[in-house]
Amino acid sequence: MIKYSFNKKIFRILVILFTLFCTIFFISLNQKVHAQLISLSIYPPILKAIMKPGKEIMIAYNIKNLGDPTTLQMLVLPFEPKDNLGNVRIKEEFEGPIRFKLDNTNIELNQPIFLKTGQSQQILLRIRVPEGAPEKDYYYTLFAETDPSPTIEGKTSSRSKARIGSHILITVTKSGNVDIKGKVSLFSVLGNKLPFFGDKISLFDSTDIIPITLIVENNGRNSIKPNGEIILRGNFGERAEYNILSQNILAYSQRQLMATPSAYFSSEKPVSLALSGFFIGKYNLSTKINFGENTPQLYASTSFIALPFKFIIGSFIAIIVGIVIIRKLNDDKDDENDEEEE
Amino acid sequence: MKLSCFSFKLLFLIFTFTVFLFFAPLSLALDMESTDYKIQYGNVVIGGKDQSSSGYNLSTSIGQVAANEFSSSGYIVKAGFQYLHSIIPFTFSISDINIDLGSLVPNTPSTDTTTLTVSAGGAGGYQVTAIEDNPLQTLAVGNTIPNTSCDSGTPCSIGTADVWTSNDDYGFGYNMAGQDVPVDFTNSTYYRPFADNSASPPDSPVVVMSSSKVTMPTGTPTPAPASERTHESTVTFKVNVSPLQDEGTYQTVIKFTATPIY
Repeated sequence: MIKYSFNKKIFRILVILFTLFCTIFFISLNQKVHAQLISLSIYPPILKAIMKPGKEIMIAYNIKNLGDPTTLQMLVLPFEPKDNLGNVRIKEEFEGPIRFKLDNTNIELNQPIFLKTGQSQQILLRIRVPEGAPEKDYYYTLFAETDPSPTIEGKTSSRSKARIGSHILITVTKSGNVDIKGKVSLFSVLGNKLPFFGDKISLFDSTDIIPITLIVENNGRNSIKPNGEIILRGNFGERAEYNILSQNILAYSQRQLMATPSAYFSSEKPVSLALSGFFIGKYNLSTKINFGENTPQLYASTSFIALPFKFIIGSFIAIIVGIVIIRKLNDDKDDENDEEEE
Repeated sequence: MKLSCFSFKLLFLIFTFTVFLFFAPLSLALDMESTDYKIQYGNVVIGGKDQSSSGYNLSTSIGQVAANEFSSSGYIVKAGFQYLHSIIPFTFSISDINIDLGSLVPNTPSTDTTTLTVSAGGAGGYQVTAIEDNPLQTLAVGNTIPNTSCDSGTPCSIGTADVWTSNDDYGFGYNMAGQDVPVDFTNSTYYRPFADNSASPPDSPVVVMSSSKVTMPTGTPTPAPASERTHESTVTFKVNVSPLQDEGTYQTVIKFTATPIY
């Protein structure tokens, strides 16, 4: 009888412990589920098409859900350049004559689709340029946009939705000719410029990183891609070449081009090229740019002077300090000699 | 005054030591790699001729080129970036899309965070923008927690962060920390209000992360390591309400948009 009641007691304790364990386990499990990860990828990240009016093309995109299961929708919105660094301003209302639709049997634009974790979805985007569409450029972005998660009952909360985009640059031309009106609007060494024999020149210490900016303006109605290089020549015959990246310059806009290889320049202001090394004397920088075969070449140049200011100042300070110490030591020695003579 | 041999040696030692002091930190600063980007240097070769021109010069080109590839099909299509040779997709992640600000207590700020991650290895550069559908508001009655203006002495706006530490200044805002975030988020006490899509006229989405740098070597078929392609930042959401704030469950939706540069 005693043994039975003892076992019953142990059983009750075990039940309580098991219940407690399950409660704690499920509470912690619930917290983990609460943090919902959204992770989407898209390929290709950019598409450029040159099309005749009346033609259509079909492009295959790949969307992959790398996060938790989610519902998303595909949409196409126009954009315009925001600055000269390649950033964009998305317009929330569709505009322009270009027509987009999906060729997928089970998916349409602006309609929700569900993607499980790790699931990829091929998006077949059909782009049509109607007859009579004006010959110019049209810029759009294909977006995959998630739906916001359900509201959290009884708690103040902020829910997020994610959009990931891939740009579409369309040039409409009947003849195949592209309007190329490029111009180097700025090629300069950044930094303070000092008057120098009636001219202004950039002056640096020999060990400074030299920041260079190159901005090209497109005054034509079609996007263009520059090819070329920035060449550094020193007064001792040194020469270095830096290739300009072939980035798109949209119609009637500017683009700060980038050259590589380049050093890293820690500045708020982006630069086209950062030169590092030990420079001494006057250096000339020139750039040659073209926009494809049989196009005129643009040319621009600038220069800078680098002198070892830090080395000179350091040497000067060292000499002064040295002379003071030596003079002090000699004075002490003279005093000792005088004392010995006395 | 005559300088002895000892004096010359001493002078030489001081000179060498001082020059070393001036130049040692400079040589250390010329790192070949940073945590964010691979740094590449050009080869400087001897033998080039001096450029005769100097100063500043601009050129202009006006013309047309026949699109040789414009075949009888009537179109040319080019996908991806010519200078990257990459098939890495453009990827964007939000670590937690449910920001739980809990039960609000007047004059006691409530915060929560989420992490934004962008992998732009196949694009070279990117931007992430943010905009709220509306300020925090209750669904039923339509009460609103206004967007923050930060501390009364340090007003902030949707484009400029400033200090928000006072528990007597109310509202809803965010702080950014990590890679490629706007420089005005000096530290964790700097906040901005979100751009408001319900404002009249609606605000434009505001850039919260951006990079125009190309992180892959030109023409290299092997992509850079993932650590160099991935950019990460933390968004801290903060809300602080006054004792006069109406009771209720306040909610909003923030839209984060990630696009590659073109």
